[in-house]
Amino acid sequence: MGVLPGHMATIAELKPGVLSMHEGSDVKKYFLSSGFALIHANSVADIIAVEAVPIDQIDASLVHKGLAEFTQKLSSATTDLEKAEAQIGIDVHSALYSAITG
Amino acid sequence: MASNAAVPFWRAAGMTYITYSNICASMVRNCLKEPYKTEAISREKVHFSVSKWADGKPERPTVRTDQPE
Repeated sequence: MGVLPGHMATIAELKPGVLSMHEGSDVKKYFLSSGFALIHANSVADIIAVEAVPIDQIDASLVHKGLAEFTQKLSSATTDLEKAEAQIGIDVHSALYSAITG
Repeated sequence: MASNAAVPFWRAAGMTYITYSNICASMVRNCLKEPYKTEAISREKVHFSVSKWADGKPERPTVRTDQPE
C-alpha cells in the first residue's frame, strides 16, 4: 500500500516486508518484522514494528541459510504448531530475500 | 458476528498475534550482520519472575531469565 497526504484514516496490519519512506527525492528503506500502520485523519502516520532494520544490515548468507532450514522444517513438521512456525520462517525469510535483492 | 473470511494460518494453529510477531522479530534479528546482530540479540533478552497468587498469598515464584547467573 502507498500512503500520501490525505489518505483515509486506516489501521493496517503489516506483513514482514519493506517500508520505504520518501522525503522529496530521498528514499529510506527499512525491513519490518511485522506490525501495524496507523494512518490518522490529520495525515500523520505511525508505524509500529517490533524490529525495523535498514536493509543494508541484513546478511544475505544468513537469509539463505534460514530459508533452506525452514523449508526443510516444513516438510518434516508434524504438529500444527510446528507447521505454523516453519511457515512463518519461510514467509519471513522470503520477505528478507526480496528485500535484499530489491 | 464474525465473518466467514479465513483466519491467518498461525491463528488457526493456536498461536496468538504476539507470539507470531515475536517469532518474526526473532528471525529477523538472526539474519543481521555483525555488530547489529549482537545488539539485537541483547534486545531480546528477558528477565522476569512470576508468582501465582492463592488465598491472598503469593506462591513460590518462577524466574525466567537470560542473564547468566
